[in-house]
Amino acid sequence: MVWLNIVLNRLVWLVPTLLGLLAIVFVLSRVVPIDPARLAAGDNASPEQVAAVRHSLGFDRPLPEQFLRYVAAVARGDFGTSLFTQQPIADDLAARLPATLELTLVAIVLAAAIGIPLGVVCGLRRNSWLDHVLRVVTVSGLAVASFWFAMQLQFLFSMKLAWLPLSGQIEGFPPEHVTGLMIVDALLTGDTEALRSAVRHIVLPAITLALPAAATVVRFTRNGVIGVISSPSVAYQTAMGYPRRLIVWKYVLRMAVTATVTQLGLIFGILLAGAVVVETVFDWPGIGAYAVRSILQSDYNAIMGFTLWAGAIFVAVNLLVDLLQAAIDPRGAR
Amino acid sequence: MSDILTVADLTLGFRTEAGPARVLDRVRLSVRPGEIVGLVGESGCGKTTLARAILGTLPAEATQVGGGRIELAGSDMLGPGGGRGVRGRAVTFIPQDPFASFNPLFRIGTQIMDLMRWNSPRRDPAVRTGWYSPARRRADRAAAIAMLEAVQLPQPARILRKYPHELSGGQRQRVMIAMALLPEPRLVIADEPTTALDVTVQAQILGLLRRLAVDRGVAVLFTTHDLGAAWEICDRVVVMYAGQTAEIAPREGFFAAPRHPYTHLLLRSLPEEGRDPVGIPGSVPSPLRPPPGCRFHPRCPRASQVCTEQAPPLLGEGHLTACHHPVGGALGDTLDG
Amino acid sequence: MLRRFARDRAAMLGAVLIGLLVLAAVFAPWLAPHPEDVWQFHTPRRLLPPGPGGLFGTDRMGGDVFSRILFGARITLSLSVIAVGSAVLIGVPVGLVAGYFRGWFSDLLMRFAEIFLAVPQIVLAIAIAQTLGPSIQNVILALSITYWPFWARLVYAETRSLRNEVFIESAVALGASPLRVMVLHVLPNIASPIIVRTSIGMGATILTAATLGFLGLGAPPPTPEWGRMIAESREYLPDAWWYALAPGMAIFLTVLGFNLLGDGLRDILDPRTRRSAGQGGGGGGGGGGGDE
Repeated sequence: MVWLNIVLNRLVWLVPTLLGLLAIVFVLSRVVPIDPARLAAGDNASPEQVAAVRHSLGFDRPLPEQFLRYVAAVARGDFGTSLFTQQPIADDLAARLPATLELTLVAIVLAAAIGIPLGVVCGLRRNSWLDHVLRVVTVSGLAVASFWFAMQLQFLFSMKLAWLPLSGQIEGFPPEHVTGLMIVDALLTGDTEALRSAVRHIVLPAITLALPAAATVVRFTRNGVIGVISSPSVAYQTAMGYPRRLIVWKYVLRMAVTATVTQLGLIFGILLAGAVVVETVFDWPGIGAYAVRSILQSDYNAIMGFTLWAGAIFVAVNLLVDLLQAAIDPRGAR
Repeated sequence: MSDILTVADLTLGFRTEAGPARVLDRVRLSVRPGEIVGLVGESGCGKTTLARAILGTLPAEATQVGGGRIELAGSDMLGPGGGRGVRGRAVTFIPQDPFASFNPLFRIGTQIMDLMRWNSPRRDPAVRTGWYSPARRRADRAAAIAMLEAVQLPQPARILRKYPHELSGGQRQRVMIAMALLPEPRLVIADEPTTALDVTVQAQILGLLRRLAVDRGVAVLFTTHDLGAAWEICDRVVVMYAGQTAEIAPREGFFAAPRHPYTHLLLRSLPEEGRDPVGIPGSVPSPLRPPPGCRFHPRCPRASQVCTEQAPPLLGEGHLTACHHPVGGALGDTLDG
Repeated sequence: MLRRFARDRAAMLGAVLIGLLVLAAVFAPWLAPHPEDVWQFHTPRRLLPPGPGGLFGTDRMGGDVFSRILFGARITLSLSVIAVGSAVLIGVPVGLVAGYFRGWFSDLLMRFAEIFLAVPQIVLAIAIAQTLGPSIQNVILALSITYWPFWARLVYAETRSLRNEVFIESAVALGASPLRVMVLHVLPNIASPIIVRTSIGMGATILTAATLGFLGLGAPPPTPEWGRMIAESREYLPDAWWYALAPGMAIFLTVLGFNLLGDGLRDILDPRTRRSAGQGGGGGGGGGGGDE
């Protein structure tokens, strides 16, 4: 019942939230000084041609009607056509989703694998030199502009040392398509060449993306551990002679991780926002780079499609976090 | 018979931002095997600090031991690595707050079996690893279920599968008592085990604790601010005031003929038929600036010059009092009980 | 309170960094060795490495990077102060009203605010800034529109939890008008989290603004905006390594300053999330005398 409640609670607000989001972007896209019809028709089009394009795209109708038509189309799964790729936007986004997914997943694993142990150690050795050093590092990690950090990584590891590729997702032939995730596909098909290339390509973008997320994880985990380690339950277990390592790595860690999971939505937000910039700098063929390009090219159908997707993914992630929390905390979601 | 617990002239304090807090001042205390001793005092008198000092769980970085010793089942608890191998085996603990003392994310059974894995009486103490043989696990589990039955919890196997928040406060404290007895300790330290519970449940839990302890011959050091509770279950009573031991006496003598003026006033402050309770004027001094001499002198009706200069020694045979002017006169020579 | 702050070395560092930023912004024309370089070309001197000619080298137009960084501080500071100021001015009243009153209107306000939180802020900011056209004013507008819901949500939650406090209810019972209660009773009591949030929000806003500049959505060249300077430097890597270094460090130190300050303020102002006092330990545990 708890589960059903959580799901319903989120879903009830999904539709109004997305509609509101659409309305905001829609209004923005229609009040702009740029004429989308002229943009679509091309620079050399005659006024008549522009008018014809305007009519065929529906830009000559009243705004509310345009909006309703758009919403109706979206409800049918039709996001319209990109003015630039000339492809259905749903197809564009679907084709680019796996690349973003792969990058984000690697970054989240990286952030957790680095952030949780460091956070635990800092929490246990509060005010030690390690704690102080890591405090500086985490605060710094959240203060670095990711595009600049990405460029410095490129400069050092690609240009100077030539250890890793500068940009892109893969070199040579991609592995046979199974899931769309390059590394997974390469593993599944046993394509070692592609695997090597895919892994080498993902290192720098994943590190850039994981940095602020890892910093956040360290801080939450550290504070979680500090809260738990001074709690009566740890005092009790110590008095009862439970071994220290059992208390820390079983009981305290579980509490701290539970506390961190409640912030996963926030962390995912950091990653999603980061992906937009990181993909652009590393020329990563995901939806983040697609969004930036659409925005810069005033491709409004694509912008709206992307915004809707991002909103939906965000709501879905928050739903997932709620469910995860209910699963790992027996007291139920609070 | 030799004591299972001896606290001798323990002086201990904490470093705080406002300066050193002298929480315990030459505290003396002993518990004999199988005996139930009540450690009585107001909040802030140092009971919990003393209990934690005996268990060796005070925060090492902030604690300053000024002197004295704690000997528990032959181990020096203040020595290096003090208490390891004793905590959870020879001495166990029942906490004040059964609500917060369980980890909320693990089943009761997990928390009990983790205790048994390391501290079960069937574990060979020579083995340092966490190896848990299936045979011992079965035996430990059976013991756990039997013990949950002994603390009168219905359907013990189901209790093991529950999470702490699914039990009531009284049920949780029964589980705590069971966990304290499972390692078959020689001493249980119960730190105000009933303050967090409903009044109706308190008496049941106290009765249960006494009966189980007496049946098994386990000694109990029981801290409380409730003289009624001490009367219910204790063999001997130790009264503390502001970090000093005021009086040590067998139960009967204590309630019938208290000698320390503080104890006297404390007993008079109990509500009783036919008279109104009388409070003690003044308040407990801060451990940051304890009064010199006997710490009770600012509130004591019998205080004289000597009380402000010298802390009185704990004197007497069987019934000991630390007072320059005890109630009821004659004192024996120096000797502890 | 001030002494606590002075003892927190990290927070002090933050304050010093922000102080330096303000100094750089105010005195840029006097501090800059080549103030004219912001607008003029010196092509013979282009892409010189750091040296006696210029502390941080020169850029693709021959401009002194150090001078341009100093003038960039003016843009960053004014832009973030105005953007965050407007976001606070929109968000705080919305949160106050929605938190103070109950009913459909409050729910509607907060739902509206949450719409803005449903997509990454950077995406929204890019979309708005692009729609409005590249200029500093539009960046400010985009950032205010993007960030106001953060303050609305914070103030809403704080007001809601304060609404049932005795002193608020008694003020209402004594006949104080809602406006009076909100401004005189609620607002002073939730000022601390707002201040903390604002300091950290400054850092986030500066990062987003720099990202917009990097993507070419800020002021047009040759405005010495830090994000744009980094974007310009990209094509001259790896040879002109110094080109991106200085503006990147400038962004980093500025954001770091606001984040450290925010952290320090949180410790002082908001006891609920206090990072527990430093060394010497013991704290509450020891001070109380033990009997918790």
